[in-house]
Amino acid sequence: MKILVVLRMIPDSAGELELTGDGRGIDREWLDFQLNDFDDHALEEAILLKEAAGATVVAVAIGEGSNRVLQMAVARGADEAIALEAEADGMIDSRAIAGSIVALARSKAADLVLCGVQSTEDLFGQLVPYAGARLGWPHVSGSSRLSIEASALRVTQERGGGIAATYEIALPAVIGVQTASKAPRYVSGSKLREASKTAMGKAASEPAGFERSAEIVALRLPGQRGTGENLGDNPENVADRLASILAAKGFAGV
Amino acid sequence: MRIVACTEGSFGKIEPFSLEMITAARMAGAAGDEVVAFFAGQDPEPAVTSLGAADRLVAASAGNTQLIAAESYARLLADTVAAEEPGLVLVPYSANGLDVAGDLAARTGWPLVSYVNEISRDGDWLAVVAQVYGGKILAECSVPLPAILMVNPGAFAEAERRAVDPSKLQHSDATPVVAEGKVRLVGVEVPNYDGVDLTTAERIVCVGRGIGDEASIDIARGLADILGAEIAGSRPVVDSGWLPKVRQVGKSGQKVKPKLYLALGVSGAPEHLEGMSKSDLIIAVNTDPKAPIFNVAHFGATCDLFDLVANLSERLQTGR
Repeated sequence: MKILVVLRMIPDSAGELELTGDGRGIDREWLDFQLNDFDDHALEEAILLKEAAGATVVAVAIGEGSNRVLQMAVARGADEAIALEAEADGMIDSRAIAGSIVALARSKAADLVLCGVQSTEDLFGQLVPYAGARLGWPHVSGSSRLSIEASALRVTQERGGGIAATYEIALPAVIGVQTASKAPRYVSGSKLREASKTAMGKAASEPAGFERSAEIVALRLPGQRGTGENLGDNPENVADRLASILAAKGFAGV
Repeated sequence: MRIVACTEGSFGKIEPFSLEMITAARMAGAAGDEVVAFFAGQDPEPAVTSLGAADRLVAASAGNTQLIAAESYARLLADTVAAEEPGLVLVPYSANGLDVAGDLAARTGWPLVSYVNEISRDGDWLAVVAQVYGGKILAECSVPLPAILMVNPGAFAEAERRAVDPSKLQHSDATPVVAEGKVRLVGVEVPNYDGVDLTTAERIVCVGRGIGDEASIDIARGLADILGAEIAGSRPVVDSGWLPKVRQVGKSGQKVKPKLYLALGVSGAPEHLEGMSKSDLIIAVNTDPKAPIFNVAHFGATCDLFDLVANLSERLQTGR
């Protein structure tokens, strides 16, 4: 079995995001880029499947810091690492990169494509249904458990309200991972150094293949913070205020 | 123009966001437009008794599955879109919607915008506002029609719940589509609450990624005990295995409405807000003043959460 896992580097949303002068993008110059959290889980699930059922894992990374994350992927157990060419200084638009992922899935003869269920930059649609529909393969988004049983893939999908549905799918398939079966593993410095010896492949981007798409006219920061009261940043003052607010509303004491 | 509003329901209930899709369709439409609700699932009855606010209901039912797979839903929707030739399709942002919206966009080639909060019409175009970067940035987009929008639950009010006039119902049997599917349902798990039911809790202390590590959860748990509150977590905390799944608040966890919701180190991604924004009293502590949780908090503080918890626990215990 061959698994293609897609790793997207995205701006750290916990950091300060500022808009560019023309208001159509975010200023990327000082941003920290990190692996999309869901893609991290997809990588872990790919490695867990490899360990449980035997597989070759091809990691494809896109965006700022791809080489660093590919090295990490190899240290965690990926067999092959490919950096996919990205448009500089732009969002990683899943609608736009789906064509490249489809081409790689075909050229690598993948049986299973795994990626995170979403990214914070997939404004124009998610990679899983785009790649699945283009390949003509079944796709399921939001998995929390994957296993191979008698050459079929078992996928547990998170529905709302804590309900989980388990499906059986004949491969090939595309799966959007929400949570890996186990939390992503830690890799040691020595494994990372070892992985740095692995040659990194490259792939050129392929056309998106859509005639018409929506466009961003402007980005903006959400206006007003809600109507809530800001209690400030001094922990003692905040604790004083909260203690009296909780007491006044009948929450102090059990 | 005709607008298709996708709806969902299972286990005898319609998802409330189904009624929101009908409202969203009316907002996007102009006078004379027709809103067609689309439903696919095991039992069409809840759709038939609830979705009368739409002009028509196209319902496909498959008695051979408890929960219809997105694969079958998407195929039935594609057939409906081919037959109805709508100018706009609205899909809820749900587990099912995530697979359905992009699938339809790939099949039709139409534009798609996700995470939509606002829609207005400008001739053959739509102007929409969508959330990106975990709700920290809003994107104003221009969308040529025909198009597909994936709409955030909670962004639009629910349309009035009333029965569909029998003359406005078009029902079909979807069992062959489900039987032919490559994605075969083999089991449905309903959570084992094990004595924990956040949906009925009156007080909740919720920890987010800002709690840092598993050991620190105990610090928040200490405050929860003092307050007589249930401890809960956002998705990253539960995904890390620091709290069990039954304690997760948000889109893929529980939707809660307690009298007190204290959020510690929770950024407030749209998926989290969907699960708790209707709580009576929301207090949020996060060192990032731009965290979206502050958009729904009644009281917010930007101090270190550990300093706050230590100080607040002491005051609550000593009554000072």
